[in-house]
Amino acid sequence: MNIMLSAGIVVSTVFIYVVMAMIYKKFRLPVLMPALTGTAIIVIVLINLNIPYSTYMKGGQWINQLLGPAVVALAYPLYKQRHQLLKNWLPIVGGSLAGVFAGMLSGMLLALALGFSKPFILSIVPKSVTTPVAIQIVNHLGADSSLTSVFVMIAGFTGAVCGVYLLRLFRIHHVIGSGIALGSSSHALGTAKALEIGEQASSMSSIAMTISAIVASFIAPVVVWIVFH
Amino acid sequence: MKVILIVVQIMLLYAIYLVGSYVQAWLNLPIPGSIIGLLLLFVLLLCRVIPVSWIEKGSTTILFYLPLFFIPATVGVMNHLDLFAGKGLLLVVVVIVSTILTIAVAGHVSQWLAGRPGAHTAEKKVLSQGQPGASRNSVQYREKETRV
Repeated sequence: MNIMLSAGIVVSTVFIYVVMAMIYKKFRLPVLMPALTGTAIIVIVLINLNIPYSTYMKGGQWINQLLGPAVVALAYPLYKQRHQLLKNWLPIVGGSLAGVFAGMLSGMLLALALGFSKPFILSIVPKSVTTPVAIQIVNHLGADSSLTSVFVMIAGFTGAVCGVYLLRLFRIHHVIGSGIALGSSSHALGTAKALEIGEQASSMSSIAMTISAIVASFIAPVVVWIVFH
Repeated sequence: MKVILIVVQIMLLYAIYLVGSYVQAWLNLPIPGSIIGLLLLFVLLLCRVIPVSWIEKGSTTILFYLPLFFIPATVGVMNHLDLFAGKGLLLVVVVIVSTILTIAVAGHVSQWLAGRPGAHTAEKKVLSQGQPGASRNSVQYREKETRV
């Protein structure tokens, strides 16, 4: 019975995702991204059928299991771009590092100043990092990863919608600077936007996305410790 | 045959993830095991211990479906919907402001480190060099768009 339930949940989640991905492929609007629409549909269905999240996760955990190897697989695009990385390592690593620090500190301090409690502040820490890594970082910090997923999406949309305008406003003209700014603040959504600036900006952005994710997982525990001591 | 190859390669990625998690638990590191696995695979690829062909198909496939894998974790937001009706909206503002700050800081630091002149020439050089590869690259980036 339990196996049937789990299998049913896995199959329906995959089905909803595939349909949503097809719709997104047709229209290519950021609001139609399958991670967003798929999640929304599942949440609406579960609430209407009165199914608790814990029941859904009996099947959902099987899909969740693949997050780990998916993060490991990010080594492949990084390896393919190793020459770009080597040639521009200083602006890439320096910019990503600065971005990660700025993002984490400003997020935590603003939330702290507004009087939010520790669990909320922790879940905001990895918001600039690509979702699979952000979920793992926040699990390690011991906070709620579902909130983090939402924050990650908002950060991504901010970069995708206003990124190019913000770059102009802040007078960031350099291709490398633009790519690193979008990748380290708005992960894959920023990277997609960076393609509008050019191939190199997009490639920089995707490198920055992976480097930021790595850097963030090292720095997050340190920043959290500093802020709460 | 191709499906078997992809499944075997994903199993290899999973094994590397397990090694990463084991190292994490063993050394009691505060870094997720998956990130240790990522770094491990990157080093193994660089040192040619693992040839790219061993993980290429599996990585491309698993990254293509990446958004699917974080849907279950994200669905957990259903337990916090009331938050976004009230004070939680302020957290949304915090995320937006902090993201804008991140763009400014990361962009300026990296622009400063890269040296200001030559931005447009570098762009042109890359574009004219890679004409045949350019379209393939853009397809690849379009695939990435689905990720968050």
